[in-house]
Amino acid sequence: MRPPLRGGGGGGRGEGGAWRGRGSDRGRGPGGRRPGGRGPGGRGPGGRGPGGRDPRSKPGGRAKVGLNGGSKVIVEPHRHAGVFIVKGKEEALVTKNLVPGESVYNEKRISVENEDGTKVEYRVWNPFRSKLAAAIFGGIDNNWIKPGAKVLYLGAASGTSVSHVSDIVGPEGCVYAVEFSSRSGRDLVNMASKRTNVVPIIEDARHPSKYRMLVPMVDVIFSDVAQPDQARIMALNASFYLKTGGHFMISIKASCIDSTVAEEAVFANEVKKLQAEGFKPAEQLTLEPFERGHACVVGGYRMPKKQKAT
Amino acid sequence: MLVLFETPAGFALFKVLDEGKLSNVEDLGNLFSSAASARKMVKLQAFDKFDNTSEALEAVAKLLEGAPSKGLRKFLKANCEGEALAVADSKLGNIIKEKLKIDCVHNNAVMELLRGVRSQFTELISGLGDQDLAPMSLGLSHSLARYKLKFSSDKVDTMIIQAIGLLDDLDKELNTYAMRVREWYGWHFPELAKIIQDNILYAKSVKLMGNRINAAKLDFSEILADEVEGELKEAAVISMGTEVSDLDLMHIRELCDQVLSLAEYRAQLYDYLKSRMNTIAPNLTALVGELVGARLISHGGSLLNLAKQPGSTVQILGAEKALFRALKTKHATPKYGLIYHASVVGQAAPKHKGKISRSLAAKAALAIRCDALGDGQDNTMGVENRLKLEARLRNLEGKDLGRLSGSAKGKPKIEVYDKDKKKGSGGLITPAKTYNSAADSLLGQTPKADSAENGVKEKKDKKKKKKADAEEETITEEPSKKKSKKKKTEVEPETEEPAKKEKKKKRKHEEEETEMPAKKKEKKEKKEKKKKKTDV
Repeated sequence: MRPPLRGGGGGGRGEGGAWRGRGSDRGRGPGGRRPGGRGPGGRGPGGRGPGGRDPRSKPGGRAKVGLNGGSKVIVEPHRHAGVFIVKGKEEALVTKNLVPGESVYNEKRISVENEDGTKVEYRVWNPFRSKLAAAIFGGIDNNWIKPGAKVLYLGAASGTSVSHVSDIVGPEGCVYAVEFSSRSGRDLVNMASKRTNVVPIIEDARHPSKYRMLVPMVDVIFSDVAQPDQARIMALNASFYLKTGGHFMISIKASCIDSTVAEEAVFANEVKKLQAEGFKPAEQLTLEPFERGHACVVGGYRMPKKQKAT
Repeated sequence: MLVLFETPAGFALFKVLDEGKLSNVEDLGNLFSSAASARKMVKLQAFDKFDNTSEALEAVAKLLEGAPSKGLRKFLKANCEGEALAVADSKLGNIIKEKLKIDCVHNNAVMELLRGVRSQFTELISGLGDQDLAPMSLGLSHSLARYKLKFSSDKVDTMIIQAIGLLDDLDKELNTYAMRVREWYGWHFPELAKIIQDNILYAKSVKLMGNRINAAKLDFSEILADEVEGELKEAAVISMGTEVSDLDLMHIRELCDQVLSLAEYRAQLYDYLKSRMNTIAPNLTALVGELVGARLISHGGSLLNLAKQPGSTVQILGAEKALFRALKTKHATPKYGLIYHASVVGQAAPKHKGKISRSLAAKAALAIRCDALGDGQDNTMGVENRLKLEARLRNLEGKDLGRLSGSAKGKPKIEVYDKDKKKGSGGLITPAKTYNSAADSLLGQTPKADSAENGVKEKKDKKKKKKADAEEETITEEPSKKKSKKKKTEVEPETEEPAKKEKKKKRKHEEEETEMPAKKKEKKEKKEKKKKKTDV
């Protein structure tokens, strides 16, 4: 599947970063040249657009080739439940909108008529902005985020990916979104007020005991925190909240863990760390061409062994 | 042993039925794999329900700080007699131990136990199904999140950043509209543009007279000075502009209304900004002034971010382009950034601006930290430091005067040799003499409207603005090509941030203009002082 929406994706990413960190970006100029050490549990500096981008430009000025209003498109379900592909002149990954009529981050929405006349709305999922979409595009074997699942999402940022996860899990499932930064947290809470299956948690993911009264046992943990100790963070959260036989998906940014070592070495190290904590990594895939230096590891937790119980 | 388990509905106390199994931590997980075996392990002893969301929020908020709320304390006292209590948070455990004398346990076994309870607790607590719990959890999380966010936004420096951004926007808009008024009305009465330099006065006059024919009859004494009024009336008679209809005049008048209301709003906004700055960062305001303080905060992103920067960064905030260019090409780095516009730096002689800017930046960094992280809400620290800075400035100038009047040991200072540093003529004791436009005669301009007109002139003419800089400081650091590169980098930051931040340009000028008459007086005083000293 060739990756669509390149131009839109790049512009979207720059705008996302600029929109989010409009004031704080400039402060990094002379003093703050620390690599990647942002607020704990918050999203890493992946979305920081290059300096030339004017932060005052209106968001949403993207030219989408082919998915213009009025063109005929076909929507077919993806191999993974809850995700769909829309085929027209260009292909795109979409999820069914839980709140029809509203865009969360000015993404494109596609309305399709069913055979019985009802309209279904889908929202386009940008793989350049969302690590999960990039992983699905990249072709992971098993997507454990399926309708009806309970998901703990670490590193929720402003809730753009979380909204898609919420679309996938549907009204029976639940997404517990953890984000430490107040500015992003505000946007997350706003998004969550429209979607009742998202529980916003403005806490440091390093201390899962701080949100123990809000989260029950979950089926999947998705982690996109971009911190050097993310394996430990994930392990801690899993020991609290991930059910036995549950699954995890973690997005590893090589330059965030150790920028001096080769990528493959970093990923191998992280996988080893995860294995030591009781995780069973099942697959690892790189997120090229959407993100550079990123890999996504998927696997199980405390999986029951065939012979004896763990 | 009892286990304390917090849920969005309330606190639950479970009794561990089989304590022996706790020693085998790994198998503990299995014991909770089904509801039946879970029930064999633990039993619900007591449940303390939250009455409503606000009670839940309170209890949980206190829990997060590590302290048990009253409800929890009562609950525990009532039910935990003589038993050890397993808790999820060791800090909480310690406090419970202190206050309620209940032994608390927190170890791996406890964590596994809690995990097991959590996976089965809908079964263990009858009457609390999944469906009930979900909305409660949602409600609690929203209230908690809102509580957290509101808490952190107590001292909102976001207001400052937005206000200063709006101020710059307003200035730009105001200028655009005012220019438009001039251009539009200039069709009808071109001479007026040259007669009245100030935008607001222009708009007021246009609003008052409408068609230039009315100029003779009307009285402009509230708006304009007498000479200007006279000129206006003369020009109105002999004007060469075209006639315009009433409908057009109505629209021009509406535009003037817009200009005037924007100007009024801008004044209000400035007052608002001043009051906000005094509330949020009183020490910084005392040191550098409201406008420079607000710009620093806006540049740093937030007060807290700014507090993390060292004094040297505060010194050159705003001159990043010049800084990195100088670093890359191994030239001298800029000496000041935004801080150049502080009044203390403006008062200093050009030679001492660098030193004062450094001292000011150091004190400013301290003031920012006081404001961002300290408890006190007063500006004593800022005021004290300002006095110190002014004393230092006087000291510097005193030393300078001493040197000028001659001393016995008049040896030139030997500089440290740095092969990489590009040198020119180094630090000149006196700047080279160039054309001093301050000595120009200003014929045809009335003294009252002088400062305002000067300000407006510079607004219109970018080149003249540079000279205005020079006028104020009485150095003309106009880069003459023969001058050393070092001098250029000094000029660059001044002209850099004016050039870089075009929106702020005009604001800077208004501010400089208000300081200019005061500064001019000071300069005169200083010159007299110097004269006196050299005489003696």
